[in-house]
Amino acid sequence: MATEFHNLHDLRQGTSLATKVFIQRDYSDGTICKFQTKFPSELESRIERALFEDTVKTLNSFYCEAEKIGGQSYLEGCLACATAYIIFLCMETQYEKVLKKISTYIQEQNEKIYGPRGLLITDPIERGMRVIEISVYEDRGSSGSSSSRSSSAASSTR
Amino acid sequence: MPPCAGDRLKPGAFIPVATAAVLLLGSSTLFFVFIGPWLVESVSVAFPICAGVTFFFVLANFTMATFMDPGVLPRASEDEDKENDFRGPLYRNVEVRGVQVRMKWCASCHFYRPPRCSHCSICDNCVEEFDHHCPWVNNCIGKRNYRYFFLFLLSLSLHIVAVFGCGLLYILDHLQDLWALHGTVTLVIISVSGLFFLPVVGLACFHLVLVARGRTTNEQVTGKFQGGVNPFTKGCCGNMEFVLCSPLSPRYISKPRKRKPVQVQPPFLRPEVVKQSPSKIPDNPIQHEVLSNKLHLKEKTEVPESIQLSTPPPLLPPKHNCNLLKSHLDSMEERLRYNRPSFSSDHTSSELPKTLEPISRMLGPSPQNEDVASTQARVCFHDYSSEPNLDRQNEVDPVSERSSVLQDPHLTSLNSRSHSLRHAHQQRNRPLLPAHHAEGLASNLPQKVLLPGGLSNRSSSLSYDSLVSSRPGEHRSVTSRPHLGHQIPYLPLDSTLGRLPAQQRHSPRTCSPVFMSASRHSPQLQDPSQALYDSLSRGVMASIQERKELVEREDPQAACTSDSGLYDIPSRRSLPPASLSRGPTPPAYGSREFLLSSAAYGYSSRWGLGSSSTSSLTRASRTSGSSLQSHMAGSGGQGRSLSPAYRSLDRQAPHCPPTVPSSTYAHQNLLTYSSGTDRRDPSAADTQGSPETLSGI
Repeated sequence: MATEFHNLHDLRQGTSLATKVFIQRDYSDGTICKFQTKFPSELESRIERALFEDTVKTLNSFYCEAEKIGGQSYLEGCLACATAYIIFLCMETQYEKVLKKISTYIQEQNEKIYGPRGLLITDPIERGMRVIEISVYEDRGSSGSSSSRSSSAASSTR
Repeated sequence: MPPCAGDRLKPGAFIPVATAAVLLLGSSTLFFVFIGPWLVESVSVAFPICAGVTFFFVLANFTMATFMDPGVLPRASEDEDKENDFRGPLYRNVEVRGVQVRMKWCASCHFYRPPRCSHCSICDNCVEEFDHHCPWVNNCIGKRNYRYFFLFLLSLSLHIVAVFGCGLLYILDHLQDLWALHGTVTLVIISVSGLFFLPVVGLACFHLVLVARGRTTNEQVTGKFQGGVNPFTKGCCGNMEFVLCSPLSPRYISKPRKRKPVQVQPPFLRPEVVKQSPSKIPDNPIQHEVLSNKLHLKEKTEVPESIQLSTPPPLLPPKHNCNLLKSHLDSMEERLRYNRPSFSSDHTSSELPKTLEPISRMLGPSPQNEDVASTQARVCFHDYSSEPNLDRQNEVDPVSERSSVLQDPHLTSLNSRSHSLRHAHQQRNRPLLPAHHAEGLASNLPQKVLLPGGLSNRSSSLSYDSLVSSRPGEHRSVTSRPHLGHQIPYLPLDSTLGRLPAQQRHSPRTCSPVFMSASRHSPQLQDPSQALYDSLSRGVMASIQERKELVEREDPQAACTSDSGLYDIPSRRSLPPASLSRGPTPPAYGSREFLLSSAAYGYSSRWGLGSSSTSSLTRASRTSGSSLQSHMAGSGGQGRSLSPAYRSLDRQAPHCPPTVPSSTYAHQNLLTYSSGTDRRDPSAADTQGSPETLSGI
């Protein structure tokens, strides 16, 4: 569904999805949600390194805040226990609140920074928090796309 | 209970949870009805209230443990799967707080399982921080619901103690009319609670220890951190705090929120790109060629993935993919050549054509054989001696160049079949297409064609005589090889072992011409990522394995038990520990590629990789087609499930990628194969070159 949407979107906008870059999780601090800030080579010509790293670091900080064990999480746990967890039906958990903030942040980043550069960040929650998926778009009219060249070469030989 | 993948509802799975629910509810209700009033009157009103609160907790935690998503990781998208590239290694190492942790490739979910994640075979899902699958709640216990499960155990233990204690008090108070209704019911209650007291309290204590140590049941049972350091522990207090007070993790499998789509319109902003010269031109022209080729290679290696990602997985008829596969093979060959520095540079380029000449001669007068042999020779020779040309070809039009070389339609169609299998695994609704196609192709195989391949210094039972000897039973297995060899230029030429010059045989590494060229021409290239080599062989190995299965399906008689001892391993879960200590792991068997090629046949998992943690894989495979399982499970009786090319690759591979992680469950099979072949001496190899031993190979 998402792919179809993207395809339709591309046709309208005159872009084509060239590739997808996946930012993997950084497990050096355990199983907490943290993504690698290593700048992928595929984005070298598409976005400034500083912008990318800033985005990933901000996301990491959001996730750190979401998973923080502190006052709010204690209160949430006690309340949930006391109400036989019915409170989860009514109340938004700490994590969910931060996830909404993350979603808003990603949307904002896509609109302001990544979209104008032909990139789109997919919210990691849609990928099970395993990767940050960055879709790289190419201008359909451009002849410099290696993907279109090779695919046309492949199709011509069939 | 969270929805299982495939929505397999088995009535039997509900029996334990139904029993637990009935016993819990029934006993507690009887307790409150029959003993509660007496407690209020005789002892204190606080007793039943406390018991009620405890029961309330038990129910709440039981419900949460039963119905809460344990932290199921959704399947990876196809794009991500292609990005990982199923030719990659089965395991990926990651450092967690200084401790190396292995992430295993999940064939069902198509991603490398995060640390502490495991695939539940019952639920057919990867679960984050997988603890175990609890039949009493009919749910996996994982990251999201472990706390509720733990609290359920604690509260149930307390509840059992309370019920038992109060019931005993009642009995002691009413000894004279024990067989009245109340007495009888109380006896039933205390016997049920007494019966479950030990198991529940024991389990609660076990989990208490686990929580204190920061381990999961899975880790404890599999002995992951036995004698080692647990990188996930936060200290006793930190662990308790983490389990009891951490925020509730979100569900991953949920509807994506509706968001305003972001407009992506050209022209795109670009950062300032600092153009760097691709290579410094050294004085040595050969080095220059090597370096420039290396850079071209880098571009080529990067581009194919982007190419693949740009188009949806093309499930074309195999013949249409043959050219893509050829170009793919070319890039693989190049990668292979430049990423295998470990081979000796003893061999010279001139030696290869000499070895190939006798091979061509030995192949006999068959025009088809000659064609294949000569083309193979050309391919091999071409690979190592004319790298710039090869590279140029790849740049310009790899497809047309290769099409002139690969003229055998059967070969090309089989090539394309294996290529289609790469994509076929992604299309779960079409697992049989490549199988059917391959079967058709296998039936059209030409006469036996011996493929020249790499050189191997390992003595082998696959002597040339046995390979060339024409026997009806062998035809299929033999004829399957040429196609494999055609794709694998580095297949060892077993038949020429006895004819090779001594220095070639004593090469410390089993080499193909391609490998030798790699060591010869680019000894300075030390590519840390051996996965590229692994991926090449794995891709080929997957196709080899598929063809073997096809062959065996066609002609089960051809399966020979000669090497059953070696090939028996795949069906076993546990492998002899000695196999674990062998050299570097041959990549092919345990590769993700192999797993996914199995999936292409409709199997959702890899068979018997020898790991208890992979029991889910084997369990999942039972729902897959039967032929693979019958092949693999009965591999003892189908020792010829591996072609000689396969075995030779086994022999080659252990020494080739020294950095490939060894001692993996998935690779134990290969290790045993290679160990089996290692043990044979040359003299034994000749005797074992008899038809009956080789027919299965």
